[in-house]
Amino acid sequence: MSIPLQPNGPRMKDYSCANKCTWCDGCGDFGIWTAVKRSLVESGIPPHGVLLCYDVGCHGNASDKLLGYRFHGLHGRVLPFAAGAKLANPTLPIMTFGGDGASFSEGIGHLVHAVRSNYPIVFVLHNNANYGLTLGQASSLTWQNQKMNSSPNGIPEHTLPSMDFLFSLEPTFVARTFSGDIPQMTEVLKAALKHRGFAFVDILQACPTWNHFATHDYFLEHCYDANKEGHDSSDFKKARQIAVDTSKRISTGILYQREDLPDFYERLVPRQGRKTTPVEEVEITDVSEYMKMFI
Amino acid sequence: MSRIAIKITGAQGQGVNSVGEICAKGLKRAGYCIFGYREYMSVIKGGHSSYQLDVSNEEVRSTHELVDILVCFNHHGLELNVEEVRDGGVIIHQSPDWKWSTKQSAELKKKKIITIVLPTEEILRKLRAKPILGNMLITSVVWALLGQSADALRKLASEQFASKKDLLELNMQCIDEGFAFTKKQAADVRVELPEHDDIWKDRMLLTGSEAMGLGAIHAGVRFYAGYPMTPSSPLLKFIADMQNKTGMVVKQAEDEITAAQMASGAMFMGTRALTATSGGGFDLMSETISLNAIIENPVVFVLAQRPGPATGLPTWTAQGDLLMAVSTAHGEFPRCVLSVSDAADCFELMPMAFNIAENFQIPVIVLTDKQIAEALYTQEKFDQSQTTFERGFLITEKKELAKLKATDRYDPEAEYGISKRWLPGAKAATYVAQGDEHNADGSVDETPENAKAQMEKRMKKGAVLAEATPEAMLYESDIGHRTSDKGNSEPKLDLLIVGWGSTKGPILDVMESLSRSPKSSVRSPRIGYLHYTYLWPLKTEKLQKLAKKAKHVVLIEGNYQGQLGQLIRQDCGLNLERKILKYDGRPFFYDELLEAVSFQLSASGKRFSSFTKS
Repeated sequence: MSIPLQPNGPRMKDYSCANKCTWCDGCGDFGIWTAVKRSLVESGIPPHGVLLCYDVGCHGNASDKLLGYRFHGLHGRVLPFAAGAKLANPTLPIMTFGGDGASFSEGIGHLVHAVRSNYPIVFVLHNNANYGLTLGQASSLTWQNQKMNSSPNGIPEHTLPSMDFLFSLEPTFVARTFSGDIPQMTEVLKAALKHRGFAFVDILQACPTWNHFATHDYFLEHCYDANKEGHDSSDFKKARQIAVDTSKRISTGILYQREDLPDFYERLVPRQGRKTTPVEEVEITDVSEYMKMFI
Repeated sequence: MSRIAIKITGAQGQGVNSVGEICAKGLKRAGYCIFGYREYMSVIKGGHSSYQLDVSNEEVRSTHELVDILVCFNHHGLELNVEEVRDGGVIIHQSPDWKWSTKQSAELKKKKIITIVLPTEEILRKLRAKPILGNMLITSVVWALLGQSADALRKLASEQFASKKDLLELNMQCIDEGFAFTKKQAADVRVELPEHDDIWKDRMLLTGSEAMGLGAIHAGVRFYAGYPMTPSSPLLKFIADMQNKTGMVVKQAEDEITAAQMASGAMFMGTRALTATSGGGFDLMSETISLNAIIENPVVFVLAQRPGPATGLPTWTAQGDLLMAVSTAHGEFPRCVLSVSDAADCFELMPMAFNIAENFQIPVIVLTDKQIAEALYTQEKFDQSQTTFERGFLITEKKELAKLKATDRYDPEAEYGISKRWLPGAKAATYVAQGDEHNADGSVDETPENAKAQMEKRMKKGAVLAEATPEAMLYESDIGHRTSDKGNSEPKLDLLIVGWGSTKGPILDVMESLSRSPKSSVRSPRIGYLHYTYLWPLKTEKLQKLAKKAKHVVLIEGNYQGQLGQLIRQDCGLNLERKILKYDGRPFFYDELLEAVSFQLSASGKRFSSFTKS
């Protein structure tokens, strides 16, 4: 993969980093990490032309395993940081990564408002249905009767129906893929990078150490590419239905997308017609005109 | 100093603020300095509220407890505020059925207080005007009592209602009615204002929040994220209301954590971004402050204080969060804490805060409080010529960027511990802003050598910051203004006052009064006020020198513990035993502070005083 896809375009090795990966054998993070790099390369984005924002968890340990401008923040809080960064410089693509623990427990409020705000960023959910890095506690997406670290009897709460919940927020982009399918992840992430607005990408991720219910093999058996089966991703009702119903098969691909709605930045009245970004506008500003209104 | 006070009271939503504001504007234009003070309760409508204007031809920076004119929109003011009227003062109310008790009548007679009952309802009925027009009617009576011209008020009304022709006409009629009523019913009643002084005419009349908002705009802030919480909300409102003029990105976030994170992300990307909150919201922001410390991201957070714990007194004032500001958030890291004290500070310290944040790549916390946020100041137009624009070691030049190595970002060997910073998107080597302990390029590194080196790198910035920030400012009573240090010799003072934040206003007013006509046993006392703007890192050398030569030293703070006193003792061992502390949610009032400071001037003065307004 050292042949650039475009003349002078980025190569996979431009994203390579000397730090060794520390994930468990068979961890889904390897596949996601590879697909992220591939999607950036295939989108023609060089490392200095992207900001990758990581939450805390096993996935966050990717923050120093590739190049690009990167941020590794606080548990559950990556979305508002990334949104602030994006609004300061909307010209820079931003990919944001968070686990199911961070995104559906600690920081679920941020997810709700990020979808609602339609911030023009990509959000990748590393969905392994448990808290891996803290040694396998249940998350709100863990299946209900699974025994987990600190839940010897399984969790009493019912599992949060994440897709139904997400669709209730009227998202503009919802995709699902799985950590064993690098080509599909790459295509989905490339589409997410191009999306006008908030792109939610749910990556079902194998966690061989802690998750013994939704395994790599389970995903291989159950996942199907809905787009290949002719699913119309503009059909909200149908998309919600196939996203939610995973009882027999798990739909993957771009499940829903609409681009007729402006993103958050586009909606900001004071920014209409401005060619510069807030980053470029920083200077000591003369307020003489504004002072007059107090005389 | 010759000063008068006008207090307007009523239910929230009745028009107290609008009468206050129109009187303030008119009096300023007539050549007076105004200090406006609002009291209200944490309800939208109906709570008892007040707007007081202290008026003088000289600088006035505080609120007098006794007032010359008390305006009561409803009878609650007559019940609650009547004792605040000074001898010979005037009460204007519009409750025709109100009956004073025998005791009250006797008291009013003894104090020679004049009561004027304005038949508002009757007049408005005659004009076929809605109750809201009562505001202008009351204003015009106050205006007439102050001996001001009806034309000046008409001019103000035509500005305010320029776009509403029919409303303007009714307002004009109310002004005529108000003046006619006063001429007929209170011809011999007059509240004497001192001789006007034209220096005040062209000044601005604005709140601390508005001044801070202007300061932020001036500083180049292009992004604001906030979550509503009194008393930081007026800043959010001002910045938001200005957005179509400034083009700023303004986000009302879903909570304070979001606001803090968004502002941090925007700063990381390279713009100047601000957020503000009060104590409870600041608690939520503290983890984010710690994050910014380790990724060495410059940020500025405004902490607008109100009394706690918990929801406490949401619409009142305090200086109770100083210790929180200097120690909030986990881990050891350098920070800068500074406090504004008035409108001028609110403006000037915003660019300063951003310069410090960017120069040192640290979190900067700017303290304000409800008193400053909502007080109305008569302020000279801000001097913008002195503002500097400092972004520290921010690399933006193409050639310089090309030379960068990823390991330059957090290079532990960097001079002063301040390493080069460059922005996402810049064509240069990339790094990770790492919330875990990291080595020079941001890669996670948990080795003891690295942990030590990075801690020392960051803490070195704190030591350099301590060198760079200015000492506390000494104000002396003979002038009442900032004095330059004359050589090395510190003045020998009868009394050295130490304080910070909004208490500066009343302290300076009191000092000025005492030096002119001392009420105290010491004739023409020499009083110094050492005002702390930079509270962390704390500098105490100047204080120690001054304290050695002062007869007495007294600490004045709006909190229970004497928090600055604690920091001073922690820093240098100096124990300021004499304290004037107030923690009832109210600011220091001029007259109570005058009395307390006078006590301190005499050797037998009380060692400790605390106020509660009964």
